[in-house]
Amino acid sequence: MILGDLLDARVTDADGRGLGFVVDARFALDGPIDGLLAAPRLHGLLVSPRTATSFLGYERNGVRAPALLARWFRWRHRGTFLVHWSDVRWVADGTVVLRAGYERYSPGLTGTAPQQG
Amino acid sequence: MKKVLGLALGILTAIGGFLDIGDLVTNAVVGSRFGLSLAWVVVVGVIGICLFASMSGRVAAVSGRATFEIIRERLGPRAAGANLTASFLINLLTLTAEVGGIALALQLASSVEPRLWIPVAGLAVWLVVWRTKFSIMENVTGLVGLTLVVFAVTVFLLGPDWSTLADQTFHPGVPANEGRDVYWYYAIALFGAAMTPYEVFFFSSGAVEERWSAKDLAQSRLNVLVGFPFGGILSVAIAACAAIVFLPAGIEVSSLSQIVLPVALAGGKLALAVVIVGIVAATFGAALETSLSSGYTLAQFMGWSWGKFRRPARAARFHLTMIVCILVAVGVLMTSVDPIAITEFSVVFSAIALPLTYLPILVIANDPEYMGKHVNGRATNALALVYLVIIVAASVAAIPLMIATGAGS
Amino acid sequence: MSLPPDERPPGRILDARLHLLDRQVLDVDGVPTCTVDDLEIHGLDGSDRPDGTQTAVVTSLLSGAVLATRVLGGRPPASRWHRIRWTHVTDVGTTVRLGVHGDALDVTWTERWVRDHVIGRLPGGRHDPG
Repeated sequence: MILGDLLDARVTDADGRGLGFVVDARFALDGPIDGLLAAPRLHGLLVSPRTATSFLGYERNGVRAPALLARWFRWRHRGTFLVHWSDVRWVADGTVVLRAGYERYSPGLTGTAPQQG
Repeated sequence: MKKVLGLALGILTAIGGFLDIGDLVTNAVVGSRFGLSLAWVVVVGVIGICLFASMSGRVAAVSGRATFEIIRERLGPRAAGANLTASFLINLLTLTAEVGGIALALQLASSVEPRLWIPVAGLAVWLVVWRTKFSIMENVTGLVGLTLVVFAVTVFLLGPDWSTLADQTFHPGVPANEGRDVYWYYAIALFGAAMTPYEVFFFSSGAVEERWSAKDLAQSRLNVLVGFPFGGILSVAIAACAAIVFLPAGIEVSSLSQIVLPVALAGGKLALAVVIVGIVAATFGAALETSLSSGYTLAQFMGWSWGKFRRPARAARFHLTMIVCILVAVGVLMTSVDPIAITEFSVVFSAIALPLTYLPILVIANDPEYMGKHVNGRATNALALVYLVIIVAASVAAIPLMIATGAGS
Repeated sequence: MSLPPDERPPGRILDARLHLLDRQVLDVDGVPTCTVDDLEIHGLDGSDRPDGTQTAVVTSLLSGAVLATRVLGGRPPASRWHRIRWTHVTDVGTTVRLGVHGDALDVTWTERWVRDHVIGRLPGGRHDPG
């Protein structure tokens, strides 16, 4: 599988109801060690009900300036949620189907340490 | 002297951006038709490009990432690809116009037909891009381009009626014999000519070429604050020369020889020689700026190795891109296309493509992951948002106005 | 409606679009090599069609033909993917750093071709700018 198979895919619940689109995939560097770094483990998918377009990163990394832009992008992506990979039942042909009883989590990255490049 | 040379990047960027063949023509045309009643647009444009270039220069110095890497990273391949296509074509149009401009300027000096000069000009541009160190390139073209100050001197030598000029400048209005939409069309053209994206690609990539770091932020700011206002003052001076000599006579400027005529009238043969040297340097500088920008944008989008600080074999695809662009420019010009007609389109298209370049830089300049403590301050962001509105408005209005006015005719 | 916060996994968090895709890849000497055009994901048992029942991890960065399909849509045949194994990645920041020379990688074949057939053959092409 390539990430392109997941990004922008339609997301439905177990009954086939549309929930939105995959706007991003969240990885955690806690997979098996592969070289110098741990392999990125697919932790979950970010699902937005409205649009499959890029966020410019505003809504998740806690950047709040310029305030007007930040507010606009947050508003555009209201209703975005995170589902864990373990709640994904299958992936096929541009559709991601979730398990019955899947859980929604807040999409924010806040609480993660800010990274210095 | 070292301090002066430290400003070379800003001066070359500004001369290539404000005094390239497109601006020489646009400013003179505007001066001959509207007097100084559009000078306010140059002021708006200078403040805008200062803001924009200072953000991209700061991002490049702090994070080491040049502008098109940022555009790709933030907008993703689709929107960034659209921006690349537009920016690359504008670059190519401008490069074509500049190589033609060099030939026209050399024709003024030598009265040898421009078509004979075109391949020579193209080859000279390539040789500099291929072999010359970045610092030598920017110092020589920047310093020689300073001779264009002669336009500002000319304004004084012509002994104009200052109150008329001041009235045009400070009480701008549409002249009686011109339409309102033509006035606004030229306003957008001037704005687009001041805020061309290639200036920002060149300036930010130049900052990486010169290995600026967070220590050089003051240097970067000074480059911006000296270079662009200097370019802006000279472009108003060109418009003023045309306004003084041609506006009362009702003559509309359409050729390079007319643009330099006021200088010859006021300063004689010596001044004319100086201004021709200046125009050759400015168009040559702009040709370097646009050919390098074509390599920078494509290489940064694709993640290729780039930069004049590497030997060409270490940035092979980057150099191949520039060779192809220069060959295309020379080829197009050999079909006797009028470079001045090309340049008028390229400045308007610049205005259209601008938002897609401006927005990612504004976003990254606020991102602590890239910028650490050097993120935008409140005042910068307030001004940046005002300019975001202006840039989007100019971009949206450009095409309808272009159609409505038949490109200003 | 406010959603419960996610329990934070122990490792660093990377959102693919935000932190990996379209980032510049630099080789061990800091030379630009490519951009991250896509990622290849496998299940821990080696399956190339993992679902939520098993842990899935990134095994390679992809570059090249996958860019065209991200722009235009569709999916390139696996034979056209140029992989950089995750093993070679040493750091992920504003750029992705590798621990190997770019020249040794598959993805830079066009750079080598242009160098060997065009740029390296022109006079001065292999010398520092003077």
